[in-house]
Amino acid sequence: MTEKTIKIITFCMLILLGGFLFFYGVFFHSTTVSARQNGEPVVLAKSESALMKDASVSGVKRDETGKIKQTYEIGEKAPEACST
Amino acid sequence: MVKKTRLGRFSAKLLGWRMWIQTFFLLLWLDPLGLRMHTMCSPVFHCYACPLATFACPIGVIAQFSALHVFPFIAIGLLVAVGALSGTLICGWVCPFGYLQDLTAKVPAPKFDLPKFTGYFRYVMLIGTVLAIPYFFGEGHPLFVCRICPAGALEAAVPTMAGQAIAGEKVVWPNALKLTILVVFLIAIFFIKRPWCRVLCPLGAIFSLFNRASAFFLRFKPDECTDCGRCHTLCEYGIEPEKTTNDLRCIRCLECTKCNPDALTLGSVFERSETIKSQAES
Repeated sequence: MTEKTIKIITFCMLILLGGFLFFYGVFFHSTTVSARQNGEPVVLAKSESALMKDASVSGVKRDETGKIKQTYEIGEKAPEACST
Repeated sequence: MVKKTRLGRFSAKLLGWRMWIQTFFLLLWLDPLGLRMHTMCSPVFHCYACPLATFACPIGVIAQFSALHVFPFIAIGLLVAVGALSGTLICGWVCPFGYLQDLTAKVPAPKFDLPKFTGYFRYVMLIGTVLAIPYFFGEGHPLFVCRICPAGALEAAVPTMAGQAIAGEKVVWPNALKLTILVVFLIAIFFIKRPWCRVLCPLGAIFSLFNRASAFFLRFKPDECTDCGRCHTLCEYGIEPEKTTNDLRCIRCLECTKCNPDALTLGSVFERSETIKSQAES
């Protein structure tokens, strides 16, 4: 097997892996997030894209029990600036 | 017989337009349409808290998701795919933070080089501040990458503070470590070429891992090399391209492909080499 063939196979495998991870994240991956609505606890399933947006403004945090919690109530406006 | 490839000829023509290409991509990252698409990350180093950021920063996303103990499929998938395609070509031609450093390097000032081992600090930055510290200590830790990142300080904190000052609100300053790193960075970019990229960039650390396996790569032809050493002078980052082609520290600016005997060219796994006859044979 020539070096060029190995490079092509490696490239194809990496592209397939990257593509699979990307599309899985966009279309299938979701995470359970605890939130509050009108003072009552609720559980949401957030897509990775939504989680990405919330994480970028510190809208979600992991608590001591390991659960992911939304830092703002449902119906409230999400934070606008990253806390860092 | 002289072997030339179409891609090699094309990249040689493109080399003179590199800064214009970087400027074009800058328009993509600076959200000209006000879309604020932070549900998606880009493959470049640009803080998502920047008022002009179109996409989320992939490093910020990885770090935040590490703090949440959630695997970032979108960010990792995007970086694997882009890395497999181009390696650090993204760093040299597309990244806005790298472009900023390229522009400031043009200011006439004495330039200093860095020891080779400093390139390994990028991996310490990646494993430490992007992965381990968020995972074990959360995003509140003072060494969480976003809390020390100079891109965040320059692109987000500074505009935010300016906005607060203009609005007459209380100005919230970033922490002392972030400010110190920003000041050191702003001084270093005039005296060292691409200091962030060479020493601390965790995104460059990720892309560099693909340099040996990417679809586009630097091709070295030993038969064409005359050992003139011109590529050492052309490389602005202290790499000897004919000895360590596709080096981990290389940002693939392709300046070394100006080598006269065509020993160094941009290659790809897709090309077929073309042969052109020398004038004597035709």
